[in-house]
Amino acid sequence: MTKTVPPDNPAIIFDRAALRKNRDRASKNFADHNFLVQEVAARLHDKIQDITRDFQHIVDLGCHEGEMARLLKDKFVISQDLSREFLKRASGARVQADEEQLPYRPQSLDLVISNLSLHWVNDLPGCLAQIMQALKPDGLFLGALLGGETLSELRRVMMEAEINIRGGASPRISPFMDVRSGGSLLQRAGFALPVVDTDRITVTYENAFKLMQELKGMGEGNILNNRSRGLTSRRLMMECAKIYHEKFSDARGRITTTFDIIYLMGWSPHQSQQQPLKPGQGKVNLSEMFGGKN
Amino acid sequence: MSQDSEKSQESEKINYGKVDPKLLEILACPLTKTPLRYDEAAGELISDKAGLAFPIRDGIPIMLVEEARKIDQ
Repeated sequence: MTKTVPPDNPAIIFDRAALRKNRDRASKNFADHNFLVQEVAARLHDKIQDITRDFQHIVDLGCHEGEMARLLKDKFVISQDLSREFLKRASGARVQADEEQLPYRPQSLDLVISNLSLHWVNDLPGCLAQIMQALKPDGLFLGALLGGETLSELRRVMMEAEINIRGGASPRISPFMDVRSGGSLLQRAGFALPVVDTDRITVTYENAFKLMQELKGMGEGNILNNRSRGLTSRRLMMECAKIYHEKFSDARGRITTTFDIIYLMGWSPHQSQQQPLKPGQGKVNLSEMFGGKN
Repeated sequence: MSQDSEKSQESEKINYGKVDPKLLEILACPLTKTPLRYDEAAGELISDKAGLAFPIRDGIPIMLVEEARKIDQ
């Protein structure tokens, strides 16, 4: 089998080599910036606990420092990340791999989880198809992605500041997945019983510099392929901070930032799952049900 | 051949580590998804189908195609 190009041949939007570097760098001070990752890890863990199923073989895609393996300590969890430095700080079974090329045998996994990493994948449909392939029948995928209105304030502010200073804007904030496209993505990849839900987490920071420091510290720096490679000038940053403060600060003078977490959940198909009835098999006459007399 | 043996002597300082056997049962080649051959002495996981050898460092397999060694067949 050779590697085939998916029919919709996705554009390479993200520079994965840069992502690897960002994550390696972020590992040095991650404990200071892992608030969001820890929070969503706990929420994912809750969701897993709600499912009465004994998952044996679990993979965490883009594991950061192995938060999920730590929460699921009585299970066999393979922590996978692109960054070697992150993996060094994780424990248990670990694999350095790319979410775009999963190294697992077909039908070998019971549960695939991912905590805030899949938003950097160039070809999400292709990634989901590989997850599906690696899952056993009736296996579960549960992923949390940044999406929706995430960083919408910063996106607006950056664009405005750049237009003010340079007379034009370059892409600085990643395009995020729309909540509504989540379900169709899961269905396209063949997942059964797909469920998509979202959490909005609003975080406040002292100022725009602190926010940008946090994003860098999370390993979420700009990896857009056509990003501006020059240094961001001090003047531009000052302008950003000013506009951010004017437009999006709360009563205490702190700036607000939106993170929309999109949870994607779907099962690999199995005959034991609920199936829709074939047309013409209804047993209840609707007109009787509503008390109509023909 | 002599070049090869020189190389393996050089890399003796690198700690390959042992890969968890449970992990080995699940791992596959990222390109072909076929099982891998574990060469413990060389610290590599070999995909015969893709002609690639994936290195292992400190017990962590590096399943990145850009880090793999091409094998002549």
